[in-house]
Amino acid sequence: MSLIRALHAELLKLKRTLAFRVIFVLPFFVALLQFFVIWRTKKFSPGFNLWQTHPENSFQIWAIFMMPLLITLETALLNGIEHSDKQWKHLFALPVPRRSIYLSKFIVALGLILVSTMVLALLTVIVGVVAVSLKPELASITGPVPYFAIAKQATLVWLAGWLITAIHTWISIRWAGFAIALGAGIGGTFFALFAASASLGKYYPWLLPMNLFLEGRFTTALVLGIGGGIVAALLGCFEFVRRDVA
Amino acid sequence: MQEQKYLIETRGLRRRFGTQVAVDDLNLLVPAAGVYGFLGPNGAGKTTAIRMLLGLIRPDAGEVRLFGQPLRSNHRALMSRVGALVEAPSLYPHLTGRENLEVTRRLLGAPRKLIDFALETVRMTRDANRRVREYSMGMRQRLGLALALLNKPDLLILDEPTNGLDPAGIHEMRDLIRRLPDEFGVTVFLSSHLLSEVEQIAGHIGIIHESKLLFQGTLAELQRKQQTELTVGVTRQDEAIDCLVNAGWSVQRRDGLLTVSAALPEDAVKVNRLLVDHRLDVFHLALSQRSLEDIFLTLTSGQAAGRAN
Repeated sequence: MSLIRALHAELLKLKRTLAFRVIFVLPFFVALLQFFVIWRTKKFSPGFNLWQTHPENSFQIWAIFMMPLLITLETALLNGIEHSDKQWKHLFALPVPRRSIYLSKFIVALGLILVSTMVLALLTVIVGVVAVSLKPELASITGPVPYFAIAKQATLVWLAGWLITAIHTWISIRWAGFAIALGAGIGGTFFALFAASASLGKYYPWLLPMNLFLEGRFTTALVLGIGGGIVAALLGCFEFVRRDVA
Repeated sequence: MQEQKYLIETRGLRRRFGTQVAVDDLNLLVPAAGVYGFLGPNGAGKTTAIRMLLGLIRPDAGEVRLFGQPLRSNHRALMSRVGALVEAPSLYPHLTGRENLEVTRRLLGAPRKLIDFALETVRMTRDANRRVREYSMGMRQRLGLALALLNKPDLLILDEPTNGLDPAGIHEMRDLIRRLPDEFGVTVFLSSHLLSEVEQIAGHIGIIHESKLLFQGTLAELQRKQQTELTVGVTRQDEAIDCLVNAGWSVQRRDGLLTVSAALPEDAVKVNRLLVDHRLDVFHLALSQRSLEDIFLTLTSGQAAGRAN
């Protein structure tokens, strides 16, 4: 019950915030990039299938770069509003369990990332449809829109991002400065770009969403993404509940 | 629930930060009803004590009891009867005043009509739909008080609620706090570093200095705490001092006169008779009551008195 109330309160806090707008802006960049890539392609290789290559490319850019960045931004913005006026002392003096406050923060972050990922899925469909109408030659080598496959891919990428979201939720609640959260996000993503080929990259949190697309890493990415996310959220919550509030 | 004599009771409360002891052996007794003024200079340990009362930080030793029950094991149940405003109010500047209240209302699961009640109480209904970032300090502080009132608390804990306000804001806030116990039956625990702020509205006073509680009781008890002084003008002061000290009075020289620690008019009569019997001529005799500010400054050491002068 208190978790539902905390979630309800969180939704109101989002009003007029950058945190809410960003979830629509970032997928737009990825879709725009994809659009230009298809539009500027002079000749498609034989066997090219728009509805296989295009969504996969979109979600790979999302998984390796945009989503981790979005998670960094969202958690920092969501929790930044609690640091700015020292809200914690007010929240902790209310008859609301601290764990509900913490978990609602995690859940709202997950929700915003999900919405954003689904916006990307929608834009991916739109870009594909527009591309087909602009380039008639695509029509002959492309089948109907695989709505289900695209939605499934979006959901999987999101699920594999739970661990990153849990880590960033904790970091951005633990430290007040935007710089620390941003530094962690940039650092995490930066190493992910190079860790893809390393064998340990299989377990690297910031690489898990991308690992879904790499051979032999799918199951680990999903299990570690979801399971690790839940464990990390509970550990963060455990620390949060015991903390002194300055 | 059974009526409790003391709404706040702390026993041997202690908290350190590193090597610095912020609160030491604090035993507060805050009776139900009225306003309790928690006084002390800045840095005396008031805010640390208040944070422990609210469970924001944990004591190293000792216990906090609210409404007769230990805070540690009943935090949620007890906090549902407490409203708090600690230092500057915690507000979301991008939301309106009403939306800020709505956030807390949702967390509390309180009925919607309490928002209007809280806004009316702090006289903020007119500005409720403006964003908080446009608010003045005084408005922010009043909205902070409205947040604290949102669960219709039995106990209101306010930490320096007039800090940073202009004189008009201070006056308004003080007026508001004074009305609360009578109108809503709420007990107010109010911290301040200014005695003048508290003496007009508080019935009970606790004075903390350098992490220790120096005094606790009613205002009248505080006034009695420091003896009234008797100033005596007399010829041959040295002889007069010997004579008075032999008779058991404590005497000091001050500004060419003698100050005798005496409280009652009868004492003045006795001192006068004693001196005259010893053929010493008395030309000045006056009982003077020290102001509360003097008492406060004396209690909180010469250092504080030095600053004030």
